[in-house]
Amino acid sequence: MAVTTRLTWIQEKKLQTEFEGKKLILLYKATVHQFSYENMLKKCQDQGPTVTVIYSGNHILGAYLQELYREKRKTSNFLFIFQGTKMPKYKIAVHDINKLFYWSSEMNINLDKKVMTVDSQIAKVLGLSQNSISFQECEVFRCEDILNERTLQGVTEYREDLLSFVKTYKFIKPYSDLVNQIRILLVGPIGAGKSSFVNSVKSVFRGHVTHQVLVGSNTHGTSEMYRTYSIKDGKNGNTLPFILCDSVGLGEEEEGLCIDDVVPILKGHVPDRYQLHSKQPITPSHANYIHNPLLKDRIHCVAFVLDATSVEYLCHEVVTKIKRIRREVIKCGVVYVALLTNVDRLDLITKDDFMDIYRCMPVKLKLEAVHKKLGFALRDILAVSNYTSEWELDVVKDYLILSVLKQMLWAANDFLEDLPL
Amino acid sequence: MELTSSLPWKMEKQLQQLFGNVSLSLLYKSSIHRNGFKQMFDKCCNQGSTITMFYNSKFILGAFLFRSYPEEFNGISEPNSSLFFLFERGKTAEMTSKYLITALQITDGNLTFYCSKDKILSVESLKNNCSLHQILLDGLRSYTYSFRFSECEVFRVEGTKNKGDYISKITQAIKYKSNLLAELRDYKTYDNMVSEIRILLLGPVGSGKSSFFNSVKSVFQGHVTRQAAVGSDITSITEQYRVYSIRDGKDGKSLPFLLCDSMGLDDKEGAGLCVDDIPHVLKGNISDRYQFTSHKPITSNHPAFIASPSLKDKIHCVAYVLDTNSVDTLSSKMVSIFKQIRREALSCGIALVVLLTNLNNYSDVLQGDFLNMSELMISQNQRIVNKVHELLSIPIFNIFMVENYASELELDPLKDILILSALRQMLRAADDALEDLPLEEID
Repeated sequence: MAVTTRLTWIQEKKLQTEFEGKKLILLYKATVHQFSYENMLKKCQDQGPTVTVIYSGNHILGAYLQELYREKRKTSNFLFIFQGTKMPKYKIAVHDINKLFYWSSEMNINLDKKVMTVDSQIAKVLGLSQNSISFQECEVFRCEDILNERTLQGVTEYREDLLSFVKTYKFIKPYSDLVNQIRILLVGPIGAGKSSFVNSVKSVFRGHVTHQVLVGSNTHGTSEMYRTYSIKDGKNGNTLPFILCDSVGLGEEEEGLCIDDVVPILKGHVPDRYQLHSKQPITPSHANYIHNPLLKDRIHCVAFVLDATSVEYLCHEVVTKIKRIRREVIKCGVVYVALLTNVDRLDLITKDDFMDIYRCMPVKLKLEAVHKKLGFALRDILAVSNYTSEWELDVVKDYLILSVLKQMLWAANDFLEDLPL
Repeated sequence: MELTSSLPWKMEKQLQQLFGNVSLSLLYKSSIHRNGFKQMFDKCCNQGSTITMFYNSKFILGAFLFRSYPEEFNGISEPNSSLFFLFERGKTAEMTSKYLITALQITDGNLTFYCSKDKILSVESLKNNCSLHQILLDGLRSYTYSFRFSECEVFRVEGTKNKGDYISKITQAIKYKSNLLAELRDYKTYDNMVSEIRILLLGPVGSGKSSFFNSVKSVFQGHVTRQAAVGSDITSITEQYRVYSIRDGKDGKSLPFLLCDSMGLDDKEGAGLCVDDIPHVLKGNISDRYQFTSHKPITSNHPAFIASPSLKDKIHCVAYVLDTNSVDTLSSKMVSIFKQIRREALSCGIALVVLLTNLNNYSDVLQGDFLNMSELMISQNQRIVNKVHELLSIPIFNIFMVENYASELELDPLKDILILSALRQMLRAADDALEDLPLEEID
């Protein structure tokens, strides 16, 4: 039998967040390591803070022990019980695992008899009808800070690698001579986070959070101009190998970006700061219309920006618009990805999940939802969390933003490779 | 006091990926849990697969054991799969490894890994000393026979594929993959008749034709690529005829095959690839980037029409691409289209194969040595394979199974091998067809 916990992903996550962002590492599982006090102690002593969980019929309850008794500090130890989606906590006096399993009268877990007894006070708060309950399984976990020094150092190194990858990226020959900077077009519903993404990318390279691009969440979309942002490495550094192109958000009916403007934008006819009109697409007669765009003026990669918290509620009209634009993008031979913003606001997602974002249950479900609703292939959907209210950079957020950029550079490279010779 | 591991995070990630999406749980740390190896044994027995690590300032040595620690203190565990690996600090990307069948013995003073009678690795607790056997030394390309370690940790490995041979499979797979890559890179067709074999991908909408191209390209590029647009919509995402050449690496040479991607076939009248276009595609009349029209085939006066194609322009192998899960619901119309294509292909001397996509258990498809499809796989999918064989009259040896890169961002050597093996078999099939061509067809 495998040594794996009976807690579900959600339950484990719940415990993690309740106990100040701790990761749980299973040390002892009674059905594998036998219902024996000695065995439990061998596995679990000298392991620092622990969480003990017992499973009794429909009840799952347990104790969090800081086990700092040697340092003679005041500790906060808790008893907890899962009640539906809630998890009430009660302070207890037991403070080490020895006592918990051996002789505490307040709360005692007898492994040999598979019975837990509690005093009447605790029985009352737990809503138990008697003072003892029998259990079928008992697990003990070690607690570890999720974002400890080791992981932060690891992410920092990864971030550095990604930074130098992005800064020094060279496109495929012979196009590397023609295109120094690839153009990434951001399209998506109003308020999906297009401009925030521009700000976020700028921030990563600037070294602190910037809000150059005005971001708002009014229903008309803040940006009405077509803007292209060439991004610098640092305040006065080199230009980076990409330009982010921000368009007006897609809205219902005739609101927002005019679909007929998409192809001229893709082909490079539309200049920076062009005032977009929702009902009137650009025409070659416009004063600033770029008549003979070069390869470097074209869009090389499109990112469909979608808000993870609201993508399921997109109205039929916007969905149709996105699908139509995708058709045009494919026709123009441009490579695309979908960019899912605000993944940090999904239920139960914490910052430590960013390092393995595609393996998180809520993100997986969301990706499936986007795939079903909009037909993007799963591996084309990239997750990101923008800088919105922060002042300072966060290495974990940077890591996600840079990972996404790397995928976009690769995608643009695929586009260049696909060009007819 | 919290316990934290000394394992650099990057290496942890690398190990997780190597062992197939596992997670590592720290159980024992020598600097905290002292008292010789007794505590280590107590904490680590009965925990399933483990990794034991030894750290010093220059390198990190690890031993992955598929089976649990010995059941009794002083006892010896049953010999089983183990992988020894060595990281040099400062060169995090490079890891050397050696796969062996070993048994472990733990006593108060010593930790010993035996391979038959040889002590492959012996560790003394008092001196904090590790000694490596010549076999291990060569396998890990290490120069140190023995070293003092500053820390020793044991992790439980959760989520290993439930087979002891998985780890040996993976290490062999990495080697076999590089052989396959080399073979495909240097592939020459029969009598050098053409420099590039053209493989046409044909199949229902959404069966994974464009994904197969992306997957092949990903394998050669080393990361997930998205040159061909994929996705799902009511009608086929692919509307153009595309002839894809693939480079070996980012700025490498073109490989000796072309993958020709077509619009998906559709049951509905007036949707999907126009069936009358297929003969033109096979004969090489249609040029790259031709925009298909569902209800109207190409005409000879179209600019994309190649009037007199030569042998190098025509298709040399047709691959029917089918989703494994949709074989049972294949419509009779689709089957009749396939039969029509088959007649057409045979008359032109074109090889015909089937590519089944969307497998559930791709890691079991091939035998241990990867040379053939495994018996297990054939028997598990016997019904599907037989059905395809009967419906489309394609011999079983020309029915291949692959799993496309659909969602995972990381590459997997077992997937790669399936993809590359299918590709190689296609080239071989095309070669046979070329060899069989009547002389007058060769120009």
